[in-house]
Amino acid sequence: MNAELSSKTRWGRSRFGGGTALLIGISLIAGAALALGAGLLFAKLNAPQNPVFATLIMAAALWPILSVIFWVLLVDRNTVRGSLRNPEISIEGQWHDEAVVKVFQDLMIICGLGAAVFSFINVQASVSLVLTGVLLLTGADFILRYFLIKRAQS
Amino acid sequence: MQSNLSEYRKDRGISQQALADLLGVSRQTIISLEKGRYDPSLPLAFKLAAQFNCRIEDLFIPEDL
Repeated sequence: MNAELSSKTRWGRSRFGGGTALLIGISLIAGAALALGAGLLFAKLNAPQNPVFATLIMAAALWPILSVIFWVLLVDRNTVRGSLRNPEISIEGQWHDEAVVKVFQDLMIICGLGAAVFSFINVQASVSLVLTGVLLLTGADFILRYFLIKRAQS
Repeated sequence: MQSNLSEYRKDRGISQQALADLLGVSRQTIISLEKGRYDPSLPLAFKLAAQFNCRIEDLFIPEDL
């Protein structure tokens, strides 16, 4: 047990081998490369008059997000400190599943009511802005639902 | 669901954390099982029964039976 605990680290190790430093390094480099590519594409499509500045701003905004996504894809979950061997049969898994169902129901109600209300009111909004709002709302709703379920069942 | 898990665990002299580690679940799972606030999935119930070398019915008793 102690050997198992000591082999786990805060950021874990790659599922393809190597240590924590290698995993973090690859995640950061891959995140930077993809962020730079996305920045170049964004600048070409949206800011051809100032491409360098637009590329850097977009790449800087995307770098941390894409690096985390690469880390999630590459990490061996069992090497992360505090991870459970069988999360699917733990009570936290049940709280997660119940929260997901509640969030889905909330989204159906919110999107349905929103669609009905805004069919009467003419509001123009950017699709990316609306989707970002829905994403943030979903995340916040999940956190709230999860902790309400946890409090009720603990 | 009523649970005899606490008695079985204490008879074996195992802590909640040690049992959780043996099963690969969180300590909160063991606490909730013992309080009867969490009905275990079949895989977890079988793991517990195997751990204590008993039947699932010895560990958990449905309240409506």
